[in-house]
Amino acid sequence: MAATSALFVLDIKGRCLISRDYRGNVSTAEVERFFSKHLEKEGDMESHGPICYDNGVSYVFIQHSNVYILAASRQNSNAATLLVFLHRVVHVLKHYFEKLEEESLKDNFVVVYELLDEIMDFGYPQYTEAKILSEFIKTDAYRMEASQKPPMAVTNAVSWRSEGILYRTNEVFLDVVEKVNLLVNSNGQIIRSEVNGALKMQTRLSGMPECKLGLNDRVLMESQNQSSRVKAIDLEDIKFHQCVRLARFENDRTISFIPPDGTFDLMTYRLSTQVKPLVWVEARIERHSRSRVEMLVKARSQFKERSTATSVMIELPLPPDATSPTVKTSIGYAKYAPEKDALLWTIKSFPGNKEFLLKAEFKLPSVLSEDAVDRKAPICVKFEIPYFTVSGMQIRYLKIIEKSGYQALPWVRYITIAGDYELRLS
Amino acid sequence: MAPPAQSHRSPSPSQPSGKGEVSDLKTQLRLLAGSRAPGTDDTKRELFKKVISYMTIGIDVSSVFSEMVMCSATSDIVLKKMCYLYVGNYAKHNPDLALLTINFLQRDCKDEDPMIRGLALRSLCLLGVANLVEYLVGPLGNGLKDGNSYVRMVAAVGVLKLYHLSASTCLDADFPPLLKQLMLKDKDSQVVANCLTSLQEIWSLEASTSEEAARERETLLSKPIVYYFLNRMKEFSEWAQCIILELVSKYAPMDTEEIFDIMNLLEDRLHHANGAVVLAIIKVFLHMTLSMTDVHQQVYERIKAPLLTLVSSGSPEQSYAVLSHLHLLVMRAPYIFSSDYKHFYCQYNEPFYVKKLKLEMLTAVANESNTYEIVTELCEYVANVDISMARESIRAVGKIALQQYDVNAIVDRLLQFLEMEKEHVTAETLVLVKDLLRKYPQWSHDCIAVVGNISSKNVQEPKAKAALIWMLGEYAQDMQDSPYILEGLVENWDEEDSTEVRLHLLTAVMKCFLRRAPETQKALGDALAAGVADFHQDVRDRALLYYRLLKYDVSVAKRIVNPPKQAVSVFADTQSSEMKDRIFDEFNSLSVVYQKPSYMFTDKEHRGPFAFSEELGNLSIGTEPSDAAVAAQRVEANDNDLLLGTSEKEEGHGYRSNGSAYSAPSYNASTTAGASQGHFDLVSIDQPSTVHPPASFAIDDLLGLGMPAAPSSAPPTLLLNAKASIDANAFQQKWRQQSISLSQETSIDPRGVAGMMNPQALPQHMQGHSINCIASGGQAPKFKFFFFAQKEDGSSAYLVECIINSSSCRVQLKIKADDQATSQAFSELFQSALAKFGSA
Repeated sequence: MAATSALFVLDIKGRCLISRDYRGNVSTAEVERFFSKHLEKEGDMESHGPICYDNGVSYVFIQHSNVYILAASRQNSNAATLLVFLHRVVHVLKHYFEKLEEESLKDNFVVVYELLDEIMDFGYPQYTEAKILSEFIKTDAYRMEASQKPPMAVTNAVSWRSEGILYRTNEVFLDVVEKVNLLVNSNGQIIRSEVNGALKMQTRLSGMPECKLGLNDRVLMESQNQSSRVKAIDLEDIKFHQCVRLARFENDRTISFIPPDGTFDLMTYRLSTQVKPLVWVEARIERHSRSRVEMLVKARSQFKERSTATSVMIELPLPPDATSPTVKTSIGYAKYAPEKDALLWTIKSFPGNKEFLLKAEFKLPSVLSEDAVDRKAPICVKFEIPYFTVSGMQIRYLKIIEKSGYQALPWVRYITIAGDYELRLS
Repeated sequence: MAPPAQSHRSPSPSQPSGKGEVSDLKTQLRLLAGSRAPGTDDTKRELFKKVISYMTIGIDVSSVFSEMVMCSATSDIVLKKMCYLYVGNYAKHNPDLALLTINFLQRDCKDEDPMIRGLALRSLCLLGVANLVEYLVGPLGNGLKDGNSYVRMVAAVGVLKLYHLSASTCLDADFPPLLKQLMLKDKDSQVVANCLTSLQEIWSLEASTSEEAARERETLLSKPIVYYFLNRMKEFSEWAQCIILELVSKYAPMDTEEIFDIMNLLEDRLHHANGAVVLAIIKVFLHMTLSMTDVHQQVYERIKAPLLTLVSSGSPEQSYAVLSHLHLLVMRAPYIFSSDYKHFYCQYNEPFYVKKLKLEMLTAVANESNTYEIVTELCEYVANVDISMARESIRAVGKIALQQYDVNAIVDRLLQFLEMEKEHVTAETLVLVKDLLRKYPQWSHDCIAVVGNISSKNVQEPKAKAALIWMLGEYAQDMQDSPYILEGLVENWDEEDSTEVRLHLLTAVMKCFLRRAPETQKALGDALAAGVADFHQDVRDRALLYYRLLKYDVSVAKRIVNPPKQAVSVFADTQSSEMKDRIFDEFNSLSVVYQKPSYMFTDKEHRGPFAFSEELGNLSIGTEPSDAAVAAQRVEANDNDLLLGTSEKEEGHGYRSNGSAYSAPSYNASTTAGASQGHFDLVSIDQPSTVHPPASFAIDDLLGLGMPAAPSSAPPTLLLNAKASIDANAFQQKWRQQSISLSQETSIDPRGVAGMMNPQALPQHMQGHSINCIASGGQAPKFKFFFFAQKEDGSSAYLVECIINSSSCRVQLKIKADDQATSQAFSELFQSALAKFGSA
């Protein structure tokens, strides 16, 4: 793998806030020049994608709030690795400063330097586990009297967890979060539907606990000949946190691991079996005259009565030159958001198998503007359905064994949320 | 410690605001330096922090160097860390000051606290002052033997830093062998990984000058070492795993069994949450199975799901990087994702750079079964989203149309775009309709009907305008108004800024005239007059050419300007297959994102370790310099315009096919001045077939269009020197200097291909014919060789690049010779030798 020349954190205008030069062959001035040139030409950094080439240097960057994190290299670096790495840097910095933005960096130059030195050495990624790093690089060090511990955990056999962690009550929180992506075309056909699931874990466990997780995974259930009270499901592509013993999973589908301390994604999975759209929205637009337009919207929940969707927000696009909309709804409230050219229909609680209506009326200028490009945005929907998974994923057990023999409490929650959920207008 | 002279230097004039504060800091630090009072450390910390902040925002605080060093005599680790930072930043530019710090850094390298030892060692290596390197050797040596793994980890990379400062010091201290020992026995995985990265870099850089280093570089790829890493894989951090997998992907297993072992061992990594690891695994799988066609296909099936997950989950940046790789894979195996095309449908809120790649994917996976759905989806983008997306989508539809056999539905869709009456949609569509017509002339009737309704006033973009004008000229007889529209355009000649449009206008008026002379005569006259007076060289030349042609003979003009055209079956591919292979070799790197091999965008000194094909790579640079230069400019390959490239080709074709007809009468004309028109016609029709056959043969040969079946029975008269020799460097130089004198494509006996299983066989065989192999490379089905031969009397050398495709049994030859006249003879000799390969 090729080495990175330097890491930079730049502000929104492309000025360097802080940087670490590992190889001494890309200067700050070069980066700033490239960035300002690019910003001038394109207006923003978005359009060109996260990887750019200029004058012998490759710039790989991501944006987070009002800063850019950028890696520069003169070699044929590993593009995907660098991007994952940069996201990891963001994760680490966020762990330290809660918010990663220009201000929080300016207050913490010293810590940022220390971190940049530990996460990468001479251009090669080293340690990016926030939890471990925070054991020997501390933000409050400047008030601390005691000297810092040597970084023994960095080089443990279990690199993601230190020894000697102690909690009074040992608890594990496990959230099964399923994100539904949906794309419906203007004829009302579902053209793409996908579920991305994640098991998000928060551990507060002492010592070096051994964990074993049981799911209603079809492959496993069939191999164990379990009479299925629980419906088994097919998981398409599973990815695990580095703590999970992959070989073990490959052999007998057992998910066993020593968890890191704190919050992490234990596993992610994907299902592309088509599911019935949980929330269905239809909009009909009637033009009564050149300037008066009426929109009729019907929203239907297509899940069982016992579940309820919360924080439902339906974003209904309006023409950019629409004025003075008036809205009537059978539930919730709707607000005109001119900055988004949309009507936002919010429904706090949307029970299963129900249908609600919205009627909006708005005016258009009678003179058609010349350069009005017909830019039809889709209807976007956001919602959360607690205690429910589309896939039917269930946690059958979570066993925690530690040599001190304590009892740990596992807390499991399920939730389904809308991801990219788009229905195109006809 | 006496305050050094540097303390008098003022901060840089560009930061006058910091001046007062800096001198303030200086006094305060000096006061604190000797103090042992309680609470001193806290005050120092605040001051140090301030110094670091100033340093970061660009205020020059180098003037407090000596005070900082004095204050750092403390056991407080926080203070030390800040001091290291400061020193690291300023030492490089103030070597004299750096000397001050060596002392306390060396002392800290022996501190009780391993953290301090490690940090001090890292800072010491970062000083970056070349004449202080001898101070590094001791602490580094101790660091590598340190009891604490953190220190060893730092030391392992420190050796590499030292190497870059002074290679000789590093090698003289025998650090590389020490690193190797450490790599093979250290318990700590990060120490091992750092040793590996350092060794890779050092030995790759040394390999060009030292044979021993080259050998060591090879041993990193030997079975014991690769297996050592594979077996410990799970212990390594995710980043170290990426490095190891990169190493494994270069390893050549002995047999298929070994390949399966490695793949089974690594398969579980495909479940790793880190996308970087997953891609690294995929590279290993793809490269290992290259020669095993069936397994290679299975690998594609296996990696599909993980790749698609990486696209749809995770950040848009990751999607971008992964989609680039998918695109490369689809180019090699179009069918793999053809049923997963829905994964590449665009989401409204995705960034444009992701959408653009998704469109490319949709274009690439389109086949008979899914085209309808894909095109329907693309049409939604054209109508719905923003302008650049609409343009890209139209181009995508067009590309699909050009690669499909059944284009009915697509043509209808494209024509509907024209009826949308949006300027950008119309413009983009026109360009495509033109390309489409060149491939499918049978659609001209439908297209022309719609295109004819477009008012040229609504088309402003040069490319679109040029396309419209081309159609007006090409289909002049079918478009009622063609001459009049053209006339209107000619009237506005002066307002037309684009050279391209003016060139096309000239040609179109000319074509129109040749078909509908009476109606176009006036427009043609005006256009030629304007063209001859044009300030642009090309326009002027073309106008003059047309003028003279017409003056000379209208029928000749007709054949040149308006010859019957054959439909274009395949548009020129922008990338050679060799280039694509090279990019595939560099899977999982920037090459894939840029769509060009790394030698095009990196300097030689910055090539990564293990650039094996470098020698071969350099050679081929010489053969395609223009291509490389152009490609380097052309990051957006999409923008390269089919129109421009092909219109030039079309004109070129016109000259070429009629070349002899045109030149023949012109010299005749000088001898028989004042001869009648009829006589000329006669000459121009008869001449080419009778007088010039040898010439046209020669042209054919030059173009490499089908060898005129060289009589294999004719004994070659050329004799080669059996003891000819040349070293690789000289060969390389020569190859670069000379131009290609002969380029041919031929086929090879399938039995010979079977012999390719042993890549050494061919060089040995050729040596028997006095042709020596200089370099070879490649993997099935594509092998590349460089050969060298010399005339018996030593007068002329022949250099050959020979690319053998073992699946199609085709051979591409490029021959360069001192004595170009004999290159044909040599080629025959070479081919007859090649033909005997495998049959003997």
